[in-house]
Parts: sequence; C-alpha cells; structure tokens
Amino acid sequence: MNFLDQPPRFLFFTGKGGVGKTSIACATAIRLAQAGQRVLLVSTDPASNVGQVFGITIGNRVTAIPSVARLSALEIDPQAAAQAYRDRIVGPVRGMLPDAVVKGIEEQLSGACTTEIAAFDEFTELLTNPSLLAEYEHIVFDTAPTGHTIRLLQLPGAWSGFLEAGKGDASCLGPLAGLDKQRAQYKDAVDALADPVRTRLVLVARAQQAALREVARTHDELAAIGLTRQYLVVNGVLARDEAARDPLAAAIVEREGAALAAMPDILRPLPNDQVPLQPFNLVGIDALHRLFDSSEAPGPLGLEEATPLEAPSLASLIEGIAQDGHGLVMLMGKGGVGKTTLAAAVAVALANRGLPVHLTTSDPAAHLNETLMGVRDNLTVSRIDPRAETERYRQHVLQTKGAQLDEQGRAMLEEDLRSPCTEEIAVFQAFSRIIREAGRKFVVMDTAPTGHTLLLDATGSYDREIQRQMGGKGIHFTTPMMQLQDPKQTKVLLVTLAETTLVLEAANLQADLRRAGIEPWAWIVNNSVAAARPISALLRQRAHNERAEIDAVAGIHARRYAVVPLLQEEPVGADRLLELTGVQQAERMVLLD
Amino acid sequence: MKMIQVFDPALCCSTGVCGVEVDQALVAFSADVDWARSQGARIERFNLAHQPMAFAENATVKGFLERSGAEALPLVLVGGEVALAGRYPNRGELGRWAGLAQHGPKPVAADAQPAGGCCSGGRCC
Repeated sequence: MNFLDQPPRFLFFTGKGGVGKTSIACATAIRLAQAGQRVLLVSTDPASNVGQVFGITIGNRVTAIPSVARLSALEIDPQAAAQAYRDRIVGPVRGMLPDAVVKGIEEQLSGACTTEIAAFDEFTELLTNPSLLAEYEHIVFDTAPTGHTIRLLQLPGAWSGFLEAGKGDASCLGPLAGLDKQRAQYKDAVDALADPVRTRLVLVARAQQAALREVARTHDELAAIGLTRQYLVVNGVLARDEAARDPLAAAIVEREGAALAAMPDILRPLPNDQVPLQPFNLVGIDALHRLFDSSEAPGPLGLEEATPLEAPSLASLIEGIAQDGHGLVMLMGKGGVGKTTLAAAVAVALANRGLPVHLTTSDPAAHLNETLMGVRDNLTVSRIDPRAETERYRQHVLQTKGAQLDEQGRAMLEEDLRSPCTEEIAVFQAFSRIIREAGRKFVVMDTAPTGHTLLLDATGSYDREIQRQMGGKGIHFTTPMMQLQDPKQTKVLLVTLAETTLVLEAANLQADLRRAGIEPWAWIVNNSVAAARPISALLRQRAHNERAEIDAVAGIHARRYAVVPLLQEEPVGADRLLELTGVQQAERMVLLD
Repeated sequence: MKMIQVFDPALCCSTGVCGVEVDQALVAFSADVDWARSQGARIERFNLAHQPMAFAENATVKGFLERSGAEALPLVLVGGEVALAGRYPNRGELGRWAGLAQHGPKPVAADAQPAGGCCSGGRCC
C-alpha cells in the first residue's frame, strides 16, 4: 500500500460516508501499531463508529485499545465537546448569577455553531498539543463526511486570516470570541495541516464515477488550502476473476473498471492503491488486519444455500406515499448510502403517476442533475446550494437591515455576514421556503450528510421563535417543526445499506428523530447484493452477510421497509431510476413515452 | 475620557446577524460603536453568553440582573455608573458620554429600540 509507505505524523482519511474510511483508518492504525509505532486513532465523525469496530466504548477521551498494543483511540463527539464548552463558560457563574439568567446563557450556547466550534477546538488541540505529539508517533484521523471535513479543515485558514485582521472583537464569530487568546495555536494547526512532512491526506473513494468526482472536488478544495500531499485509495474493488460466471459480478467489474478508466485527470498523478472487496464484514481486529493483505484473506467461507430474499420493493412504499396526493418526503441517512439517488427515484416514480413533484437536494456535493438526465413536465428539480443561498441571504440582509448604514457600518455588517452561522441560517430559510410547497404537491428532499442535526436544531429554535411571536396573538399558525412531526404531511424515509455499522447508525438517527417527535415512516435498504441474487461466490457471501442486517431492519427497526437491489447499471436517468423502484419494464415503457 | 461599558444580553454575535431575523437595533448600534471608537471613544461590550463572568464580577451589573433579569438588558455603564438600561444608546448619546467634540455624521438610527435581543431569542449559534 503506497499510502502506508513512510507515513508522516498525521494521516487524514477523507471521503464520503460509506466508502469505508473508518475501516481503512482503523486498519492503518492497527498496522502502524503492530509495526511498533505508538498510534492515536481519532474519529471526528459526528456518527463515529470506531468504538463499534473495536467492540469497546471509546468516547470523548483517549482510550487504550486493549487488544492492540500501542494503539489508543479517541472519538470527538461534537455534542459532548459542545457540552464541555458550555460547562467551561457557564460553570463559574452558576450560583453567582440568577438561575434564569444562567439558563438563558446555556440556551444561547446550545446551537450548531457552538457545536462546530467546540469540536474544531479539540481538533486543533490534537495537532498542536506537545504532550500528545511526544506520546504518539502517528495520529490517524478518520474524518467526517466530505462536506463536514472541508468545513473543519477550512476553518483554521479562515480563522487565522480573520484573527490576524484584528476584527475579532466586533465580529460574529460567536463563541469563537473566546478563542482569540489561542491565536498561536490556530496558526500552528494550519501550519501542521499544510506541511507535507507532517501531514498526509488520503482520499478514499469507491470505484464509482460519482464517488471519484466527489474526491476530485475534495482534492481541489483541500489542495487550495495547502494540503497538497494527497494519496488516493479506491476501496472495495471487486476482483476481476469473480466476473467469470456471474452477470452481476461481470457488470460490477466492468462498471468499476470503466469508472477507474474515466477517473478525473486531477486524481491521476496521486499515488494510489486499490483495496479489494472482502467477503467478510470489517468488524473486529482480525478482519481489519486482513484488509491490506490479500494473501491472508480466506476465500469465501462455506455458506449455506439461503432461500432467496423476499422483501418489499420500493414500489410498494411509493404506492403508500402516492395515496395522499401531496406531502413532504425526506430521505435521511448517512452520506454515501444513496439518498440523492433514491430521492430522485421516488420523485420520478411519483411524477410518473402524473403527480406534481418538486425534487430538491441540500447535498453539498449534489449530483441530482447527473443522476436525473431528462426531466418530466410535472417534475421540477432544484438544489439548495449552500453558497448561493448564503450569498442571497447576505445580499438580502445588506439591502434591508443595512440600508441605513454608512459605508463603514456596511463594511462591518458585511464582515459579520461572513460568519459560519450565516450559512446555516440561509440554508435553513431555503429549506423552510421549499417545504411550504408540500401542501399542494409532493416535495421530495434528500438531506445533507450532517443535515439532520442542523435541521432539527434550526427547526426547533425557529419553532420556538414563531410560537413566541405568534403565540400571544391567537393566530392560527403552522411551524416547519409541526409540519415535520405530522405523519400526514411528512414522511421520513431512513436510508441505509445492509452493513452492521450503517444499520446501527440509522437506528441511532431514528432514535434522534423520535426524540424530536418525528416518527420515520419507512426504511430503505439500498444497494442490496442479496436482493440482486448474485451467482459469484464472493458476492453470495456478501449477500449472505446482508441477510442478518435486512432481518434486523425488517424485524426490529422499521415499521415498513423496502430493499433496493444493487443494479447492473448505475441508476442514472429516469428510466433506470424507475427500474430501481421495481416498476415493471412494460409499465415503464408506456409511462415514459 | 470615561469608559463606556455595554452589557449585552446573551447574543450569538454583537451585530445580531445570526438570528432567524436580523435585529435592526443591533445592526445600527454595532455601526455606532464602530464609529465612536474610530473617533477615539473607549467602549467595551460584554456578551452575556460569552463573558458571563464580567457580569457576575461587577456588583452594579450583578445587582441589576438579580433585580430585573436578563430581559432588562442591555445595560450601559459610563464611568462605572448606570447611564442607560433596556435599550441601546444612539450615536448622539455615545458621542456625548465619550465627550466627543462633534457627533460626526447623522446618527444612523435615532432611537434604536431593543427588539427582543440579538438572535431574537433563537438559538442562533
């Protein structure tokens, strides 16, 4: 493996959720520790599963991994970091100021911005803390999904520039105001990130066109902020010899080969590695140890001939959704599970029935247009583009609230509108605007990889705000939160793959939603090999492994569910999207005419 | 020159741009503060959400909070004495307290009224 050759102090693995960067980061950490190095493995993923991989509880402090000498791990839980941050600020005045005042401060510090900054603060600490650097020869970061990673990594550059400009006092850096004191530390963190002697960035992708385009974008963005030393790992590549007697395996091998051949030019010069698709699940140290070592990988294990999978298709869910004639359909789940594609499939299937549909995505790396080539009359497609929304919102505030200001005042307001809060507010307002349409037509949305926290948080506070403003006036009103909580108006579809960690994460998300009073309407298990009825021995082993996960979804987690097979062709365009839903070929020909 | 100290309610940010609805009073006041400082005035702002210790350690401010609660903020002290509470001062008042000879250009907002605090009570940050 090239990326393991002479590794520097800091190794970052980045890529969309579901590409396997947790597994690769874990396997790398194990490999380095077994080679005699002292290693710290860090997960900054809000939905971290490093603990699950090692079968222990890790949490927000450095924890030794009992089964691997010299290896410790740390999960930066953004929520816990935010709580610690709140305690630092509020703790000293508890009992000194009235309780109601203290409660108000806590409320103010419980939003997404505080969470982001508190997590970032810990991240910076890891890059610069001398005692950690003395203790560990390598720090391996299993970073969050791409959008989040970029934000985290872009922050140091942005903050340093900002703090150097000396605008810290007036600006809307919110909780960051208190971090001004550590200016030198931020600069050190930025320097460490941009130093090829200390930092290596490993882009992790699958051999799929969209995934490779995605890492090319990440490559550009991170290279622009100085992380030039990048490697590429293509994970889960199906071995060529599996193609011999299985049309599905042959199609996958061909598709993956084509995707790799058509790799964006910008990725070609990078040192790269391919990690083969394994028949086993990457949980536990033995499995991870074998990941980079094909010589040790066993052939497919002896598997019993299971009965073919009988599971409801996506069409059965769409039937239920269509009955109401309108409403909000939200696909939620980790990045990389195919929310955007499934949202497009649901939208096309509803539109195919002649229903009015608005399909929209807030995925920062949206490829809806790539997925949906050929749009129908009663189907509109839009994207909540965070950058465009933020710019629109900025202009709006400057033109309204800033109208009376002199030049100097305007400049300051403009500066403040560059804060990270602005994007969240702007995206949220765009979201609120679009979901209002769901009273008249279908609005189908995927959500950004970390969208659910933002959504729940922002919607919750907006809800309270509207209730505060409207509550006393006896006016009938509906807030976005009320709309999300009403199953007649909103159907949440949880999307997962038939993999242990992803199913667990979806179950966690379901628990979060339930706490917010939102009951997911159905689950979708996407890209199922089992549902595709493979012949190849390796794929059959994968299919066999999937069954326990599908059973858990069907029997424990979901009120209703569907399984979507892995297709021989990538689901691009309306026709293949319909195939994904299970609409029969004949119907499709007629309807698509 | 006397120090002007402004004790803000729990704000995400001092201009209020991160609220669900941007507060006009805060936008105007922030511009006024910026102007007064550029004229040489000494002005400190304390945000209850970020520097609660500054509130707790000042007997006048602490007493004010105990009596009237956070809803009664902002509180403005000039030379340590209460000069104004419940609304933000305008450019003219700032100039007078700071002893600025001229009040400069026309005030941007003659009587900036507090409108429920920055971030309008929402959890903006």
